[in-house]
Amino acid sequence: MSSNQRTQSLLKSIFNGRRAIIAIPYLWLLMFFMLPFIFVLKISLAEPIMAIPPYTALLEWGDSLLPSIRASLESYLFLFSDSLYIKAYLSSLKIAIISTILTLIIGYSIAYSVAKAPTRWRGILLMLVILPFWTSFLIRVYAWIGILKTEGLLNLALMSIGIIDKPLIIMNTDLAVYIGIVYSYLPFMILPLYANLEKMDISLLEAAADLGCRPFKTFWTVTIPLSMPGILAGCFLVFIPVMGEFVIPDLLGGTKTLMIGKVLWTEFFYNRDWPVASAVAIILLALLVIPIMLYQKSQEKAIS
Amino acid sequence: MSELPSVNPWLDPSQKPYIQIENVTKKFGDFTAIDHLNLDIYKNEFFSLLGPSGCGKTTLLRMLAGFEKVTEGRILLDGEDISEIPPHLRPINMMFQSYALFPHMTVEKNIAFGLKQDNLPPNEINQRVEEMLELVELSDFAKRKPNQLSGGQSQRVALARSLAKRPKLLLLDEPLGALDKRLREQTQFELMDIQEKLEVTFVIVTHDQEEAMTVSSRIGVMDSGNLIQVATPTEIYEAPVNKDVADFIGDVNILRGIYKGQNDVGTQLHSDDSDSIVFATQEVGASTGDEMWFAIRPEKLEISKKKPKNQHNILKGLIEDIAYGGSFSTYHVRLDSGRILKAIRANRVRTEEHHLTWEDEVYLHWEPHSAVVLLS
Repeated sequence: MSSNQRTQSLLKSIFNGRRAIIAIPYLWLLMFFMLPFIFVLKISLAEPIMAIPPYTALLEWGDSLLPSIRASLESYLFLFSDSLYIKAYLSSLKIAIISTILTLIIGYSIAYSVAKAPTRWRGILLMLVILPFWTSFLIRVYAWIGILKTEGLLNLALMSIGIIDKPLIIMNTDLAVYIGIVYSYLPFMILPLYANLEKMDISLLEAAADLGCRPFKTFWTVTIPLSMPGILAGCFLVFIPVMGEFVIPDLLGGTKTLMIGKVLWTEFFYNRDWPVASAVAIILLALLVIPIMLYQKSQEKAIS
Repeated sequence: MSELPSVNPWLDPSQKPYIQIENVTKKFGDFTAIDHLNLDIYKNEFFSLLGPSGCGKTTLLRMLAGFEKVTEGRILLDGEDISEIPPHLRPINMMFQSYALFPHMTVEKNIAFGLKQDNLPPNEINQRVEEMLELVELSDFAKRKPNQLSGGQSQRVALARSLAKRPKLLLLDEPLGALDKRLREQTQFELMDIQEKLEVTFVIVTHDQEEAMTVSSRIGVMDSGNLIQVATPTEIYEAPVNKDVADFIGDVNILRGIYKGQNDVGTQLHSDDSDSIVFATQEVGASTGDEMWFAIRPEKLEISKKKPKNQHNILKGLIEDIAYGGSFSTYHVRLDSGRILKAIRANRVRTEEHHLTWEDEVYLHWEPHSAVVLLS
C-alpha cells in the first residue's frame, strides 16, 4: 500500500458517514455544554476585582515562555464559611424533593387515567397536558400571582361562596412556590409516565387478577414496579431543574424562601461576585451529577 | 390420539357436568361474539375449543376466567353460578397466550405469586413452588428472570404458575402457539401427562386442529359465536356434521351433487365431477333432487395407474402436483371436470418404478363406507 493510499483510507475512516453522524451530538455537547462549563469553572477559580470582566485571569503571561496559573479556591471556601449557602442548598433540596413527590403523585394519577382512557380520548387528553406549553412559562407564573395574591381570583372566589371570610395568605410563601413548581413541571412528569403506562401489557394485570390478586394490590405489586423507569425518568426531569429553579421562587416566594438559584442570581447581579456565583453553580452541578448518574444507570438497566 | 378416560362421561346421563355454560351470549356493542351458546364440560376433561380466528373461542375462554362479563345466560362451575364472580375470586386459573410472566419477578416469585395472594405460610409456598418447578423440570432456573428464558422455558413457567394454586379448572389460551413444531409436539404430550397426573380439568383454545386432535378428550368446533359440533376427535374427523367442520379439521375432498335416492349399496349421488353415479354407505333422510355433498378424506382415496376392479366410485384424472412428505405423498389430481382432488398414499416402496409422477393418468377410488354424506 502506498502512502497516498494509506492517507486516503485514513481520511475515509475519519470522515465516513457514520462517524460524521456520531460527531454531531458530540460537537453540540462540546459547544453548548463543555465550553460554557469550562468558562464557569475558570471563573469560579478566579478572584473578584473591580474591572471588566470582574474577575482575575486564570493564566498570567509573564516574562517566561509558559504562563503561570493563578487559581484560587477562595470562592469555594467562602461558600462553606457562610451558612447562608449551605442553608440555601439544603432548602433547595427540600423544596425539590417535596415538589418532586407532589408532582409524582399528581402526575401519576393523571398519566394513569389518560393511559386507561378510551383510545380515541387519549390524544385529546395528552394534548390538554401539553397545551400550557404554548404560552410562555413566565406569563403562566405571572398568572399564578393573579390567582394567589390576597385580592386574587382564588380568594375572591372562596370569599364570594362563603368558605372563608378573610383572604388566605398564599402569595409570597413556600406554599405558593410549591404550587408554582408543581404546576409548571407537571407535564415533564406526566409525559414519561404516560409513555410507560400506555405500553403496559394488560395481560399482566389480568394474570395478577387471575392468580387471586385484588385490583388495589395489583397496582402496588405489578403496575408500580413495572412503571419504575417512567417514575424515575419523570422524577429526574422534575427534580434536576427544580433544584436550580430561580423564576418561580423569585416571583411567587417570599423573602424567606431560600433557593440556591436565587442566591446565585443575587451574587451575580447584585454583588457582582462572579467567582462566588460560578462556584455556587459548580457545586450545584456536582450535587446534581449524582442523581443524573443514578438516572443514567436506571436507563441502561431499562434498555437491557 | 389422546387416551380417553375410562368412561366417556358425556355419554352417561347420570354424570353431572362440571362446567355448565347455559345459553350464554356476549355482545360487544352491536357485535355478538357469542350467540346463545350451551356447553357442558365434565370433570377431568381435556376440552378444546377450536375454530378460525374471530369465531369467539377466546371470548368464551375469557368469560370462563371472568375477564369478560356474560351479557346473557350464566356459567356454572361445580353447580355454583360464577357469572358474577370477579376473576380474582374464581377458583380458575389461566395460562395466557403471551404467557404474561411478570418481568420484574424471578421464575420462583412468578410461581409463588398466586400462592401469596392466598396468604399461605411461607414454608408451604416454598414447598409448592419447588413441586411446580420439578413438575415442569425448571428447578435450575428458579432465580432467573423471564427475559433470561427461552420460549419453551417461559411456556413452562407460565404453566407452573397457573397450576400452582391447584385450580379446579385450568384455561389455556393458545398455550403452544409460540413454540416451534418439534417443541410443540413434545409439549403436547407433557401437557397430557400433567393433566392426568394432577387431575385438573383443562379447557384449551387453539386454532391448530392437529393440536386439538392430539390432546383433547372432546373438541368443540366454533364458528361465528356458536358451537357447530362437539364430539371426540375421531368423531369430528370421521363424522363431521357439515362442510365447514369437515373442511376445518384436516384435508378433505368435497364432491357436490344431487341426491338420486338409495339402493342396496347406499346413498346415490349424481355428481358434477363424475359421469356415473357415486355411492356412499351412509344413509340420510333426504328427498330425490336435494343438493348434498360427499366428503372424502385424502387418505381414503386410493390412487393407482391401473383401473380398479371395483364397479363404483371411480374417477379418472391427471396428476398435476405432488407434495412429497417423506412417509407419504399427497397427489393433486385434476379430474376431467377440472376439479382437483387430493389423494394421500403411504410411500411403502423405496424404489422409483412404482412411483406416480406428474402428468400420469390415474384412477381415484373410494369405498362407499369411506365417504361422509353431508346435507349442509
